[in-house]
Amino acid sequence: MSLIKKPGGKALDVLQNLPRITLANLRPEPGSKQKEKRRGRGQYGGNRSGRGHKGERQRGTRPRLGFEGGATPFYLIIPKYGYNEGHSRRPQYQPLSLKRLQYLIDVGRLDPSQPIDLTQLVNARGVTIQPQKRDFGVQLVDEGAELFSAKINIEVQRASEAVIAAVERNGGVLTNSFYDPISLAILIKPVPFFLRGQPIPKRMHPGEEMVPFYMDPCARGYLAPPEQVQQARLALAKKYGYVLPDLSRDELFHMLSSRKDPRQIFFGLSPGWVVNMADRKILKPTDEKLVQYYGS
Amino acid sequence: MLRISVMACSRGVAKRFMSSMSGESSLPSNLRLPSNLVDPSRTKRPPPPADSSLPIIRTCDSSVPAHLSPLLTWVESLAAQQGDPVGLAQLHPDVFAVPSRLDILHQVEVWQRSYKRISYANTKVRSEVRGGGRKPWRQKGSGRARVGSIRSPLWRGGGVSHGPRGPTSYYYMLPMKVRVMGLKVALSSKLAQDYLYVVESLDLPTPDPQYILDLLRQRHWGQSLLIVDACDELPENLLQATANLKTVNIIPAIGLNVHSMLKHEAVVLTLAAVRFLESKLLWHDERYTPLYPFKMPYSDLP
Repeated sequence: MSLIKKPGGKALDVLQNLPRITLANLRPEPGSKQKEKRRGRGQYGGNRSGRGHKGERQRGTRPRLGFEGGATPFYLIIPKYGYNEGHSRRPQYQPLSLKRLQYLIDVGRLDPSQPIDLTQLVNARGVTIQPQKRDFGVQLVDEGAELFSAKINIEVQRASEAVIAAVERNGGVLTNSFYDPISLAILIKPVPFFLRGQPIPKRMHPGEEMVPFYMDPCARGYLAPPEQVQQARLALAKKYGYVLPDLSRDELFHMLSSRKDPRQIFFGLSPGWVVNMADRKILKPTDEKLVQYYGS
Repeated sequence: MLRISVMACSRGVAKRFMSSMSGESSLPSNLRLPSNLVDPSRTKRPPPPADSSLPIIRTCDSSVPAHLSPLLTWVESLAAQQGDPVGLAQLHPDVFAVPSRLDILHQVEVWQRSYKRISYANTKVRSEVRGGGRKPWRQKGSGRARVGSIRSPLWRGGGVSHGPRGPTSYYYMLPMKVRVMGLKVALSSKLAQDYLYVVESLDLPTPDPQYILDLLRQRHWGQSLLIVDACDELPENLLQATANLKTVNIIPAIGLNVHSMLKHEAVVLTLAAVRFLESKLLWHDERYTPLYPFKMPYSDLP
């Protein structure tokens, strides 16, 4: 290729003629070190040191921020309203657009031949979930629904109808499932959890307000009965006007139909098991009570 | 006046133009080394030509980007004091020919000095100095200045108002990629200024320290040497020879740092060290951001 650039550019050529770079030659980039402001120095900066003349300003006894000389201040005169009431109890869902999902699959960061889970999304660095900040998972957003053309088995926490239609039009499967905060933290960072040596906990069921959503077949909730989900798929196809591809004839049918148990956090691992990464072993409980607890 | 200033400007421009045409003697005076520090017999060795007869002992393990080409350097041997190069080695341009970011070198050097620094300087404040609880004399009527305690900062023997307070730590971490870039820039600058040498193996014929010093002087490598190797056991001869030498030092490849590279004039890398450094430094260009510290195992990141 005639366009092969010289590596390092002309700077390395110039360096050849300059003296050796030593500890004595290094200096910071001009303009990078801002001089610190020192009060009370010099003929003009001394005297009152930038504090003004007498009064509360010079003497440092000004009243608190917001004080208006005795009149009821602005921040007290405006009445309260519950805009942010209970904000720390509101579940948040990190948005993931279909455009970004398509990009991740095209670039090769996500593997569409395996079920796409929140763990896979985080491993591909497609989303960043912070369970400590009231994140309950990821929601699919329908930006890029026209461009979306991948057949995937995806599990998210919230998805609108348009998104479900876009996924199913391409022959994919979407499920809305719930993860309580502890299970979510384990799901997004499995390796630090396994290194702790604790047994995998059961995934808790959703709270009262969220149960109707996750039992709704139109929202493809994970607690909804499968027959109703199939009927909802046909109804949605009719509503949006596309032909629903028959999944039972698909070669990836086994992968597309794999779903997690409501109490399961990871595919292939049950609650109660302890994963030993150093020895590459899985320990399963044998005690009756434990088996009963984790099986319920 | 405007015409005179224009003429002065154009004269300055002409002088700069002429100096850029002349070449080496055009260095400004502050960048020219004094004659007693310049080693006249240390000539810049040209890089190996493309049609050289020596065999290419080492090729790059990682793929080189399409718009760059790997660098070729001589591979030496330490067996004889005055030896010819034994072969050629390919070096990855993204490690050994990185644009020279001297500001990053400065940042990394300052960081290396200060992150370990704990300053133990401590002075006593007026409340910590022994004594000084009682009011020395009454407020009014004595004729002297008003005084509250004998340990006030104005008094001899009193506390220090704004002195150093207890052990202070200057710990901070530069981003990982900045530190990696610092290593790459240091290696590239050493190679560009002809102070980096690649050696096949570190076998010396004698454990005599004088052998290495004579070797340095004969080959005009410089006053000090840093030897970098990436194997578990170093040859006995080399360890014995460098044990009592101040200017010649060996470090393992994981111990390579910007301060040591700049302190020593010449740096010698073995082929194993070159492979280790290339793999470690190039990994950072392609890795994902960490979800948890890299010390914990990752299944997908290599």
